[in-house]
Amino acid sequence: MTVPADSAILPPGIAWALLAAFSVLWVALGWYLGRNNKTAEDHMLAGRNVGLALATATAMATWVTANTTMTAPQLALQLGVWGMFGYSLGALGLILFAPLARRIRELMPHGFTSGDFIRLRFGKFTWRVFLVVSLIYAFGWLVSLAMAGGVLINALSGIDYRVGMTIILTVCVLYTLLGGLRAVIGTDFVQTIIIILGVAFIAWLTIDKVGFEAIHFNLMEERPELLNLLFPAAIMFLFNNLLFGVGEIFHSNVWWSRAFAFGRSVGFRAYLLAGLLWLPIPIVAGFVALATPALGINVPVADMVGPLVAAEVLGLTGAIVVFIVVFAALASSLDSLLAATSDLVTRDIYRGHIRPRASEQEQFRATKVMIVLLGLLTWAAASYRGEIPVVGSLAAVLYFTGAFVASAIWPVVAGLYWRKTNPMGAALGMIAGTGLGLVGYFAIGFYVAALIGAAVSLAVILLFTWLAPREFDWSRLAEAEPRNGAMANGGVP
Amino acid sequence: MMISAGALGTIVVIATSIATLAPILLIALFLHDWKRGRLW
Repeated sequence: MTVPADSAILPPGIAWALLAAFSVLWVALGWYLGRNNKTAEDHMLAGRNVGLALATATAMATWVTANTTMTAPQLALQLGVWGMFGYSLGALGLILFAPLARRIRELMPHGFTSGDFIRLRFGKFTWRVFLVVSLIYAFGWLVSLAMAGGVLINALSGIDYRVGMTIILTVCVLYTLLGGLRAVIGTDFVQTIIIILGVAFIAWLTIDKVGFEAIHFNLMEERPELLNLLFPAAIMFLFNNLLFGVGEIFHSNVWWSRAFAFGRSVGFRAYLLAGLLWLPIPIVAGFVALATPALGINVPVADMVGPLVAAEVLGLTGAIVVFIVVFAALASSLDSLLAATSDLVTRDIYRGHIRPRASEQEQFRATKVMIVLLGLLTWAAASYRGEIPVVGSLAAVLYFTGAFVASAIWPVVAGLYWRKTNPMGAALGMIAGTGLGLVGYFAIGFYVAALIGAAVSLAVILLFTWLAPREFDWSRLAEAEPRNGAMANGGVP
Repeated sequence: MMISAGALGTIVVIATSIATLAPILLIALFLHDWKRGRLW
């Protein structure tokens, strides 16, 4: 569905000015922050000493995506109060990752990627299974973010889908290329402030202009199920979303690269604080959707409920605020994903499989080439979307990856804390969890994929480890560069 | 079992207040790290 310029909520002239201004800001900031990067380690891990303020903000910004700002209102409209409460449980992923981040930093002071950990801990086969799961998730998320960018810019301003998508992707590729993780983290700080202030501003004005009594009364009249605390599908969604968020964070190199990059004592506090500050955001963003009956808004496409309410309550100012928030939210996740996925491909595919003896400088160059290639691949995939109704299915696209990511939770947790974990159990847990989770997704609904994926994966790991426990020496994870033997055997005795 | 207007309002106001204070806290932390040379 393409929105013509004359029916968009923001005049194209203002939208172009905003796009130009923020594009220049992000690219200039990225170049400035990354101008002293000299090695792959500088580029990939920002010097491994990121402080608490920037660490907290980057964790928050990356976790606030277009999905948060657009899908939280959609879920509130579809699943009611549990929709927004359930989405906010995604914060538990950040909170629960806090102790893992500390342990990762302790066990792997020289680590680069989540793939490094799986290879050293479980061996080549599990590593390759993990890479497939992780790269499918990362590429799926990249393409869906680029598509969401094009669709949302079009829906808000009438700018052509491909033009909007190309601009946002090019801007993110440019500043990630110029500044690496330093640029990503620096821009994330500014983007976090913009996103939270924008979302809170819209919520306060909705409360002021509509009021809770009117919202509640109209919902009771028109959509009483949205206020029902015993809405079965919504309660199922709540637990599914919890596992989905945990799975996304526990396995993805986006979060592992930050655990390696944050200062030695920073990771735990940064993830904990980011989770606590992120917790209310889906409630704030989602709540505005509950005002639609009171405002008499007809919502043609569920994902667009947030911008529609903002435009109704605030007029042009609301449309401008939403546009800036959406641009910042998209950029803050796209850049992180580009950086972390290019690191994973460079370290685990290029260096792990193609050129094991690649020098530091070769890896530095390869990381940059990977960022450009990923950008081009993402652009190609997002360009040929045909008539796929992306806007109407953002949540469905998002939760499709639930089976993949939730099946990786227990291999990561057991790998970090349980010495006896069986490596084959970890690999088969991911395979069986993903397979059966996808069956559940199609046979039952999007709200069970992560639940099934996590449960099956746990059962397989427990069974294999009970039948054939293996010993592991934690010090193997601390080596600066993997030995040839470790590369071959994956550190498995 | 329906959530009341009062309970819904309380939860949303608390959430929005935390969201409003979060940028202030982040900027304060930034200044704190910056003064001590601990940004990076």
